[in-house]
Amino acid sequence: MSKRILITLRFVLILITVLVITYSKKGLSFPEPGYTIALFYFVTNLILYFLPEKFFSKPIITFLIFLFDIITISLVVYMVQGFETDFYIVYFLVIFAASVSQGIIGSIPIAAVASIIYAWLMYKSNPDISFFSSQILLRIPLLFTMTLICSYWSAATRRELKKKEELERFSRELKREIGVITASEIELRRYHEKILNSVPSGVIATRKDGIITTLNPEAERVLCLKKDEVIGHNIKDIPGLGAFWKKMEQAINSGITVKRDEVLVKNKENKTTPIGISISPITDIKDKFSGCVAIFKDLSEIRRLEEKLKQAEKLSYLGKMASWVAHEIRNPLTAIDGFAQLLNNKAKQEKIGLYSSEIRKGTERINYIIDDILCFARTKRKVTHVEINLRELIQSIIKSIVHIKILVRGDKLPIIKGEIESIRRVFVNLINNSAEAMGEDGRLKINFSSNKKMILTEIIDNGKGIPKENLKNLFTAFFTTKQRGTGLGLSIVQKIIDEHNGKIEIESEEGVGTTCRVSLPKEREEEKNDE
Amino acid sequence: MSEKKGEKKKKRILVCDDEESIRLLLSEALEERYDIDLAADGREALKKATKESFDLIIIDIKMPGVHGLEAIERIRQRDIKTPIIICSAYRLMQDDIVVKTSDVDAFITKPIDIKEFKEKIFELIGV
Repeated sequence: MSKRILITLRFVLILITVLVITYSKKGLSFPEPGYTIALFYFVTNLILYFLPEKFFSKPIITFLIFLFDIITISLVVYMVQGFETDFYIVYFLVIFAASVSQGIIGSIPIAAVASIIYAWLMYKSNPDISFFSSQILLRIPLLFTMTLICSYWSAATRRELKKKEELERFSRELKREIGVITASEIELRRYHEKILNSVPSGVIATRKDGIITTLNPEAERVLCLKKDEVIGHNIKDIPGLGAFWKKMEQAINSGITVKRDEVLVKNKENKTTPIGISISPITDIKDKFSGCVAIFKDLSEIRRLEEKLKQAEKLSYLGKMASWVAHEIRNPLTAIDGFAQLLNNKAKQEKIGLYSSEIRKGTERINYIIDDILCFARTKRKVTHVEINLRELIQSIIKSIVHIKILVRGDKLPIIKGEIESIRRVFVNLINNSAEAMGEDGRLKINFSSNKKMILTEIIDNGKGIPKENLKNLFTAFFTTKQRGTGLGLSIVQKIIDEHNGKIEIESEEGVGTTCRVSLPKEREEEKNDE
Repeated sequence: MSEKKGEKKKKRILVCDDEESIRLLLSEALEERYDIDLAADGREALKKATKESFDLIIIDIKMPGVHGLEAIERIRQRDIKTPIIICSAYRLMQDDIVVKTSDVDAFITKPIDIKEFKEKIFELIGV
């Protein structure tokens, strides 16, 4: 029984009581105690109003409340002497409430109590009343009949209500579950899509007939396709993927997974890409082959690295070979050169001296060529870097050059860190080139400057300059315009500067001169020196 | 070694190189001032350096059998403190040759300049 219904019925009861007291013929004579009862009853109802819902769920409590109500009604009936009237109908309200609340089991005792009290009150007010009078014979069975009807109706209503409630609950749960299922399906789809999107390989799935059903971003990138443009289209219609489809078809027809195969695909720009591919057939619910999924990787980068590795191996081999050749040649060269020197020392005749000095020039040149080839062919190796004062280094190089004027200017302490022999080689090469390009009136300017990170060395000559068409080939190996030269000089220069994380630029104008700019990383902030 | 009485005894140099022409060249270049003994490989040099006393050892690196660097290491292990000059066609930096600087007194690269070579020897042991 809900608290709300009980309290509402009791308020109705109070209202009816007050109305009966006010309008009944006899009630008019006892207005004051009647109103007191109504007020008292109202107060008890107010108290009930503030009691917790839980309180009303106990059958014994509600039974006591109904009992109290029956007694109160009986008291009012007694006070207004309403046995002749229809006031007894008020009992129905309580019985109705009890039926709704307790069902037939709870309401029969209430009806019995009401009947007994009513009969007793009637007997009390009129001891001569016959058992067969209409008040007893009609009203008391009526009370019970009402109880039964109400109980039946209340039970039926309750059943209906319960059914409705259950239906509603079921509907709510169904809706919730559908919601959960829909959400998890969306989540699952998103999850699968995310997996597909984050796979670093291309994934493409087609139906048996070649219609594309799935394409992930890596596949879009490698095959230069757009998902929106190809999903639902046939792979056979996409130019450049002929070999790709052939492999897929093979997997579909045989039902066997194609593992680690390789195909070439052509994209829209006609660029051929080598692709490493694995294809698995897909089966439908009935276990029939319905299509296939291909997982593939762009092999361009791997091929490029393989090529680079091959190149590096070749270079390493070349370096080793050059080193071996150099060593083997230098030994007999030492003998030739050494004996030429001994011969020269012992030469009494002028001619022998001349011959021996020519032999020495030849051996020196051979040695120089060997050095060049070795330097060019060698691969990266561990080197000892030391502090190098470029000004001192360059001054030691230009000491031997006498046929031109050389002016050294700029920073006093252009200090870098590097491998001294290699750096010397750079500047010997550049200065010799400039010196060779100038005649007797040549003026070579060497200027040092620096910024926070780099030391810039400029070598500026006023020689004959380099023809425009030769400028682009300056650093190409074996390119030379000199009568005697390996054509390796500037390649070696560039290689050494690269190894030192530096930069070289050459500007030249025919008939005006050439400027070489070499930037090398500074070892430290230079100190001020006003030497 | 027979020497005339009163004549100053020449300093002894052990030249070790597997190339006969180099051995000949060095003995021709140096015999005027020094007493030269020759060895054709590291093993022979080690044997001679252990048995006899020298004022200087000139040794090549690349040789069959016991190579120069190994021979130098073993000589030093035997506490022989004779100055050593390496004379090789290898370049220290270019060919990644690792030499213990405390073991070796000079590194001369082939081809050699005989005048400079003699000066270096003079600097180390005099005449």
